[in-house]
Amino acid sequence: MKIEVKKFGEILTSRPAGREAGLSMKAYFKPEPGDRIELDFSGVLAMGPSWLDEVLSVLRNEYGNERVICLPSENASVTASLKIIEKQDDKK
Amino acid sequence: MKTETRAQILKIIQEKGKVRPIELRKSLNISAQMIHRHLRNLTERGIVEIKGAGRFTQYALAGVPDWEAVSSWINARTAPEGPESMVCETREVFTARLPHLKSFVRNGLPENILPLVIATAGEVGNNSFDHNLGQWRDVPGCWFESQVTGKQLWICIADRGQGIYHSLVKVHPELANEQVAINAAFETIISGRSPENRGNGLKYVKNNLSTTPGGGIACISGTGRVFYGEQGERCIVLLGKHFSNVRGTVTLMIWTCGDELNAAAPVPLTTGGLSRQILHKVRDVEEE
Repeated sequence: MKIEVKKFGEILTSRPAGREAGLSMKAYFKPEPGDRIELDFSGVLAMGPSWLDEVLSVLRNEYGNERVICLPSENASVTASLKIIEKQDDKK
Repeated sequence: MKTETRAQILKIIQEKGKVRPIELRKSLNISAQMIHRHLRNLTERGIVEIKGAGRFTQYALAGVPDWEAVSSWINARTAPEGPESMVCETREVFTARLPHLKSFVRNGLPENILPLVIATAGEVGNNSFDHNLGQWRDVPGCWFESQVTGKQLWICIADRGQGIYHSLVKVHPELANEQVAINAAFETIISGRSPENRGNGLKYVKNNLSTTPGGGIACISGTGRVFYGEQGERCIVLLGKHFSNVRGTVTLMIWTCGDELNAAAPVPLTTGGLSRQILHKVRDVEEE
Protein backbone atom coordinates (compact mmCIF):
# COMPACT_ATOMS: atom_id res chain seq x y z
CA MET A 1 0.00 0.00 0.00
CA LYS A 2 1.40 3.36 -1.04
CA ILE A 3 0.74 6.53 0.94
CA GLU A 4 1.20 9.84 -0.88
CA VAL A 5 2.82 11.98 1.79
CA LYS A 6 2.09 15.20 -0.13
CA LYS A 7 -1.56 14.78 0.83
CA PHE A 8 -0.52 15.77 4.37
CA GLY A 9 0.96 19.05 3.18
CA GLU A 10 3.81 20.38 1.07
CA ILE A 11 5.82 21.60 4.10
CA LEU A 12 6.11 19.05 6.89
CA THR A 13 8.23 20.13 9.82
CA SER A 14 6.73 19.93 13.31
CA ARG A 15 6.37 16.98 15.69
CA PRO A 16 2.71 17.66 16.57
CA ALA A 17 1.83 17.72 12.85
CA GLY A 18 3.84 14.53 12.27
CA ARG A 19 2.12 12.73 15.12
CA GLU A 20 -1.29 13.78 13.84
CA ALA A 21 -0.37 12.60 10.33
CA GLY A 22 0.88 9.24 11.69
CA LEU A 23 -2.32 8.69 13.66
CA SER A 24 -4.40 9.60 10.63
CA MET A 25 -2.44 7.15 8.46
CA LYS A 26 -2.94 4.44 11.07
CA ALA A 27 -6.67 5.11 11.18
CA TYR A 28 -7.45 5.41 7.48
CA PHE A 29 -4.86 3.28 5.69
CA LYS A 30 -5.32 -0.38 6.49
CA PRO A 31 -2.84 -2.64 4.69
CA GLU A 32 -3.68 -6.28 4.07
CA PRO A 33 -1.91 -8.66 6.46
CA GLY A 34 1.71 -8.96 5.28
CA ASP A 35 1.34 -6.00 2.91
CA ARG A 36 3.90 -3.19 3.21
CA ILE A 37 3.22 0.50 3.74
CA GLU A 38 5.30 2.59 1.34
CA LEU A 39 5.68 6.31 2.03
CA ASP A 40 5.95 8.18 -1.27
CA PHE A 41 7.45 11.68 -0.88
CA SER A 42 6.85 12.87 -4.47
CA GLY A 43 5.43 16.40 -4.48
CA VAL A 44 6.59 17.24 -0.96
CA LEU A 45 8.41 20.59 -0.90
CA ALA A 46 10.18 20.31 2.46
CA MET A 47 10.23 17.77 5.25
CA GLY A 48 12.18 17.72 8.52
CA PRO A 49 13.25 14.73 10.61
CA SER A 50 10.97 15.71 13.50
CA TRP A 51 7.85 15.29 11.38
CA LEU A 52 9.06 12.04 9.82
CA ASP A 53 10.20 10.61 13.15
CA GLU A 54 6.70 11.01 14.58
CA VAL A 55 5.05 9.40 11.55
CA LEU A 56 7.45 6.46 11.55
CA SER A 57 7.08 5.96 15.32
CA VAL A 58 3.31 5.58 15.02
CA LEU A 59 3.40 3.34 11.94
CA ARG A 60 6.30 1.14 13.06
CA ASN A 61 4.75 0.62 16.48
CA GLU A 62 1.67 -0.67 14.70
CA TYR A 63 3.15 -2.61 11.79
CA GLY A 64 6.82 -3.19 12.68
CA ASN A 65 9.97 -1.80 11.03
CA GLU A 66 10.00 -4.22 8.09
CA ARG A 67 6.52 -3.35 6.84
CA VAL A 68 7.00 0.44 6.80
CA ILE A 69 9.19 1.58 3.91
CA CYS A 70 10.32 5.07 2.85
CA LEU A 71 10.61 5.27 -0.94
CA PRO A 72 13.71 7.02 -2.32
CA SER A 73 13.38 10.74 -3.06
CA GLU A 74 15.42 13.37 -4.86
CA ASN A 75 14.28 16.09 -2.48
CA ALA A 76 17.30 17.17 -0.42
CA SER A 77 15.30 17.77 2.77
CA VAL A 78 13.75 14.29 2.53
CA THR A 79 17.04 12.47 1.90
CA ALA A 80 18.76 14.36 4.72
CA SER A 81 15.87 13.51 7.09
CA LEU A 82 15.95 9.83 6.15
CA LYS A 83 19.71 9.74 6.68
CA ILE A 84 19.59 11.20 10.19
CA ILE A 85 16.69 8.98 11.24
CA GLU A 86 18.53 5.88 9.99
CA LYS A 87 21.54 6.96 12.04
CA GLN A 88 19.31 7.47 15.09
CA ASP A 89 17.73 4.01 14.60
CA ASP A 90 21.19 2.43 14.41
CA LYS A 91 21.99 3.85 17.83
CA LYS A 92 18.83 2.47 19.47
CA MET B 1 40.28 61.94 -4.76
CA LYS B 2 37.20 60.00 -5.83
CA THR B 3 38.59 56.90 -4.16
CA GLU B 4 39.15 58.83 -0.97
CA THR B 5 35.60 60.21 -0.96
CA ARG B 6 34.08 56.80 -1.64
CA ALA B 7 36.20 55.26 1.08
CA GLN B 8 34.94 57.96 3.46
CA ILE B 9 31.35 57.28 2.42
CA LEU B 10 31.80 53.56 3.01
CA LYS B 11 33.44 54.16 6.35
CA ILE B 12 30.47 56.24 7.49
CA ILE B 13 28.00 53.63 6.25
CA GLN B 14 29.93 50.87 7.97
CA GLU B 15 30.02 52.75 11.26
CA LYS B 16 26.35 53.75 11.23
CA GLY B 17 24.88 50.69 9.56
CA LYS B 18 22.47 52.73 7.44
CA VAL B 19 22.70 56.37 6.34
CA ARG B 20 20.62 58.87 4.43
CA PRO B 21 22.32 60.90 1.67
CA ILE B 22 21.74 64.11 3.61
CA GLU B 23 23.78 62.76 6.53
CA LEU B 24 26.67 62.02 4.18
CA ARG B 25 26.41 65.50 2.68
CA LYS B 26 26.66 67.09 6.13
CA SER B 27 29.51 64.85 7.27
CA LEU B 28 31.63 65.26 4.15
CA ASN B 29 30.63 68.79 3.23
CA ILE B 30 30.19 68.06 -0.48
CA SER B 31 27.29 68.65 -2.85
CA ALA B 32 24.17 66.46 -2.96
CA GLN B 33 24.90 65.81 -6.63
CA MET B 34 28.35 64.40 -5.82
CA ILE B 35 26.98 62.27 -2.99
CA HIS B 36 24.33 60.77 -5.27
CA ARG B 37 26.89 60.14 -8.00
CA HIS B 38 29.12 58.22 -5.60
CA LEU B 39 26.19 56.30 -4.10
CA ARG B 40 24.91 55.36 -7.56
CA ASN B 41 28.35 54.10 -8.51
CA LEU B 42 28.71 52.07 -5.31
CA THR B 43 25.19 50.65 -5.71
CA GLU B 44 25.78 49.64 -9.32
CA ARG B 45 28.93 47.84 -8.23
CA GLY B 46 27.04 45.92 -5.57
CA ILE B 47 29.07 47.44 -2.74
CA VAL B 48 26.13 49.20 -1.12
CA GLU B 49 22.39 48.54 -1.24
CA ILE B 50 19.36 50.81 -1.09
CA LYS B 51 16.98 50.35 1.85
CA GLY B 52 13.56 51.99 1.85
CA ALA B 53 12.20 54.45 -0.69
CA GLY B 54 11.51 58.14 -1.27
CA ARG B 55 12.65 60.46 1.48
CA PHE B 56 13.22 57.44 3.74
CA THR B 57 15.87 56.03 1.40
CA GLN B 58 18.96 54.86 3.23
CA TYR B 59 22.14 53.18 2.08
CA ALA B 60 23.76 50.16 3.75
CA LEU B 61 26.72 47.92 2.95
CA ALA B 62 25.69 45.01 0.72
CA GLY B 63 26.10 41.68 2.45
CA VAL B 64 25.60 43.11 5.93
CA PRO B 65 22.13 42.27 7.22
CA ASP B 66 20.29 44.54 9.62
CA TRP B 67 19.51 42.90 12.97
CA GLU B 68 18.75 46.06 14.93
CA ALA B 69 15.10 45.20 15.58
CA VAL B 70 15.62 41.61 16.70
CA SER B 71 18.58 42.51 18.91
CA SER B 72 16.49 45.20 20.67
CA TRP B 73 13.75 42.61 21.18
CA ILE B 74 16.02 39.90 22.54
CA ASN B 75 18.26 42.20 24.62
CA ALA B 76 15.32 43.97 26.33
CA ARG B 77 15.27 43.36 30.08
CA THR B 78 11.49 43.24 30.34
CA ALA B 79 8.80 41.91 28.01
CA PRO B 80 9.19 43.84 24.76
CA GLU B 81 6.49 44.39 22.19
CA GLY B 82 7.61 43.04 18.85
CA PRO B 83 6.06 43.71 15.45
CA GLU B 84 3.44 41.12 14.52
CA SER B 85 5.17 40.68 11.18
CA MET B 86 8.25 39.25 12.93
CA VAL B 87 7.09 37.69 16.19
CA CYS B 88 5.27 34.37 15.82
CA GLU B 89 3.34 34.01 19.06
CA THR B 90 2.24 30.45 18.33
CA ARG B 91 3.58 27.48 16.38
CA GLU B 92 0.69 27.87 13.96
CA VAL B 93 1.77 31.40 13.04
CA PHE B 94 5.38 30.26 12.59
CA THR B 95 4.30 27.34 10.38
CA ALA B 96 2.11 29.60 8.28
CA ARG B 97 5.10 31.89 7.60
CA LEU B 98 7.49 29.16 6.44
CA PRO B 99 6.14 29.16 2.85
CA HIS B 100 7.25 32.81 2.53
CA LEU B 101 10.79 31.46 2.12
CA LYS B 102 9.76 30.24 -1.34
CA SER B 103 9.87 33.82 -2.58
CA PHE B 104 13.67 33.91 -2.23
CA VAL B 105 14.02 31.76 -5.33
CA ARG B 106 13.39 35.06 -7.15
CA ASN B 107 16.56 36.39 -5.45
CA GLY B 108 18.62 33.54 -6.85
CA LEU B 109 18.22 30.95 -4.08
CA PRO B 110 18.73 27.64 -5.96
CA GLU B 111 15.51 25.62 -6.20
CA ASN B 112 17.28 22.44 -5.14
CA ILE B 113 18.37 24.11 -1.89
CA LEU B 114 14.95 25.60 -1.08
CA PRO B 115 13.66 22.38 0.57
CA LEU B 116 16.67 22.36 2.91
CA VAL B 117 16.23 26.05 3.73
CA ILE B 118 12.57 25.56 4.68
CA ALA B 119 13.06 22.30 6.58
CA THR B 120 16.07 23.68 8.47
CA ALA B 121 14.27 26.88 9.48
CA GLY B 122 11.29 24.71 10.43
CA GLU B 123 13.38 22.58 12.80
CA VAL B 124 14.92 25.62 14.51
CA GLY B 125 11.62 27.49 14.90
CA ASN B 126 9.70 24.46 16.11
CA ASN B 127 12.37 23.91 18.76
CA SER B 128 11.37 27.24 20.29
CA PHE B 129 7.87 25.89 20.85
CA ASP B 130 8.83 22.28 21.68
CA HIS B 131 11.14 23.32 24.51
CA ASN B 132 9.52 26.45 25.89
CA LEU B 133 5.81 25.71 26.18
CA GLY B 134 4.94 26.84 29.70
CA GLN B 135 8.56 27.98 30.17
CA TRP B 136 8.65 31.37 28.40
CA ARG B 137 10.37 34.04 30.46
CA ASP B 138 7.84 36.68 29.44
CA VAL B 139 6.87 36.90 25.75
CA PRO B 140 5.77 33.63 24.14
CA GLY B 141 6.86 32.68 20.64
CA CYS B 142 9.82 33.29 18.39
CA TRP B 143 11.15 36.06 16.19
CA PHE B 144 11.38 34.84 12.58
CA GLU B 145 13.11 37.16 10.14
CA SER B 146 14.68 36.62 6.74
CA GLN B 147 16.63 39.05 4.58
CA VAL B 148 18.54 38.88 1.32
CA THR B 149 21.58 41.08 1.06
CA GLY B 150 24.75 40.73 -0.96
CA LYS B 151 23.24 37.68 -2.73
CA GLN B 152 22.91 35.82 0.53
CA LEU B 153 19.80 34.76 2.38
CA TRP B 154 20.00 35.34 6.13
CA ILE B 155 17.48 33.82 8.52
CA CYS B 156 17.32 34.75 12.19
CA ILE B 157 15.16 32.85 14.67
CA ALA B 158 15.23 33.97 18.29
CA ASP B 159 13.20 33.38 21.43
CA ARG B 160 12.90 34.63 24.99
CA GLY B 161 12.60 31.13 26.35
CA GLN B 162 14.54 29.19 28.95
CA GLY B 163 17.60 28.58 26.77
CA ILE B 164 19.25 25.31 25.78
CA TYR B 165 21.06 24.66 29.08
CA HIS B 166 17.96 24.99 31.25
CA SER B 167 15.98 22.87 28.81
CA LEU B 168 18.51 20.02 28.94
CA VAL B 169 19.92 20.11 32.47
CA LYS B 170 16.72 18.89 34.13
CA VAL B 171 17.14 15.48 32.50
CA HIS B 172 20.90 15.67 31.86
CA PRO B 173 22.42 17.01 35.11
CA GLU B 174 25.85 15.94 33.91
CA LEU B 175 25.94 18.97 31.56
CA ALA B 176 28.30 21.29 33.42
CA ASN B 177 27.48 24.64 31.84
CA GLU B 178 25.82 26.47 28.96
CA GLN B 179 28.71 25.85 26.56
CA VAL B 180 28.72 22.10 27.19
CA ALA B 181 24.93 22.05 26.77
CA ILE B 182 24.88 23.87 23.42
CA ASN B 183 27.67 21.63 22.07
CA ALA B 184 25.71 18.55 23.13
CA ALA B 185 22.51 19.91 21.59
CA PHE B 186 24.13 20.33 18.16
CA GLU B 187 26.44 17.33 18.17
CA THR B 188 24.74 14.46 19.99
CA ILE B 189 21.27 12.94 20.03
CA ILE B 190 19.97 14.53 23.20
CA SER B 191 16.71 16.18 24.26
CA GLY B 192 15.19 17.82 27.28
CA ARG B 193 11.85 16.17 26.45
CA SER B 194 12.59 12.93 28.30
CA PRO B 195 11.25 10.25 28.18
CA GLU B 196 10.22 11.08 24.60
CA ASN B 197 12.57 9.74 21.96
CA ARG B 198 13.74 13.00 20.38
CA GLY B 199 16.90 14.97 19.75
CA ASN B 200 17.84 14.76 16.08
CA GLY B 201 16.62 18.19 14.91
CA LEU B 202 19.71 20.30 15.60
CA LYS B 203 22.01 17.64 14.16
CA TYR B 204 19.98 17.86 10.96
CA VAL B 205 20.27 21.65 11.02
CA LYS B 206 24.03 21.52 11.60
CA ASN B 207 24.59 18.90 8.89
CA ASN B 208 22.55 20.81 6.29
CA LEU B 209 24.37 24.09 6.84
CA SER B 210 27.80 22.47 7.16
CA THR B 211 27.54 20.51 3.93
CA THR B 212 25.89 23.12 1.68
CA PRO B 213 28.46 25.29 -0.14
CA GLY B 214 28.22 28.88 1.07
CA GLY B 215 26.16 27.88 4.12
CA GLY B 216 26.71 28.66 7.76
CA ILE B 217 25.03 28.76 11.14
CA ALA B 218 25.74 30.22 14.56
CA CYS B 219 23.74 29.91 17.74
CA ILE B 220 23.98 31.65 21.10
CA SER B 221 22.15 30.54 24.21
CA GLY B 222 23.24 32.09 27.50
CA THR B 223 27.04 32.08 27.49
CA GLY B 224 27.14 29.09 25.15
CA ARG B 225 27.87 29.59 21.47
CA VAL B 226 28.53 27.38 18.46
CA PHE B 227 29.07 27.90 14.76
CA TYR B 228 29.37 25.56 11.81
CA GLY B 229 29.82 25.66 8.04
CA GLU B 230 31.79 27.82 5.61
CA GLN B 231 30.06 30.98 6.82
CA GLY B 232 29.67 29.96 10.44
CA GLU B 233 32.42 32.20 11.75
CA ARG B 234 30.89 35.16 9.98
CA CYS B 235 27.53 34.39 11.59
CA ILE B 236 29.00 34.20 15.10
CA VAL B 237 30.87 37.50 14.65
CA LEU B 238 27.62 39.14 13.63
CA LEU B 239 25.68 37.58 16.51
CA GLY B 240 28.35 38.58 19.01
CA LYS B 241 28.15 42.15 17.75
CA HIS B 242 24.38 42.44 18.18
CA PHE B 243 23.37 40.18 21.05
CA SER B 244 24.74 40.87 24.50
CA ASN B 245 22.52 39.06 26.97
CA VAL B 246 20.82 36.11 25.34
CA ARG B 247 18.84 34.36 28.04
CA GLY B 248 16.79 32.44 25.47
CA THR B 249 18.26 31.29 22.16
CA VAL B 250 19.28 33.11 18.97
CA THR B 251 20.15 31.26 15.78
CA LEU B 252 21.48 32.86 12.61
CA MET B 253 21.65 30.92 9.35
CA ILE B 254 23.08 31.96 6.00
CA TRP B 255 22.47 30.43 2.57
CA THR B 256 24.22 31.62 -0.55
CA CYS B 257 22.18 32.51 -3.61
CA GLY B 258 22.94 31.67 -7.26
CA ASP B 259 26.18 32.79 -8.87
CA GLU B 260 27.62 33.85 -5.53
CA LEU B 261 28.11 30.17 -4.70
CA ASN B 262 31.29 30.38 -6.73
CA ALA B 263 32.13 33.99 -6.01
CA ALA B 264 34.94 35.34 -3.92
CA ALA B 265 34.69 35.49 -0.15
CA PRO B 266 32.04 37.91 1.12
CA VAL B 267 32.74 41.27 2.69
CA PRO B 268 34.08 40.50 6.16
CA LEU B 269 32.30 42.00 9.14
CA THR B 270 34.82 44.07 10.98
CA THR B 271 34.09 46.09 14.07
CA GLY B 272 36.52 48.93 13.49
CA GLY B 273 38.06 50.70 10.50
CA LEU B 274 37.19 50.13 6.89
CA SER B 275 37.78 46.57 5.84
CA ARG B 276 40.63 46.05 3.41
CA GLN B 277 38.29 44.19 1.09
CA ILE B 278 35.95 47.17 0.73
CA LEU B 279 38.88 49.45 -0.01
CA HIS B 280 40.05 47.05 -2.71
CA LYS B 281 36.58 47.07 -4.21
CA VAL B 282 36.59 50.87 -4.35
CA ARG B 283 40.02 50.92 -6.00
CA ASP B 284 38.87 48.33 -8.53
CA VAL B 285 35.98 50.61 -9.44
CA GLU B 286 38.35 53.53 -10.01
CA GLU B 287 40.73 51.56 -12.16
CA GLU B 288 38.01 50.34 -14.55
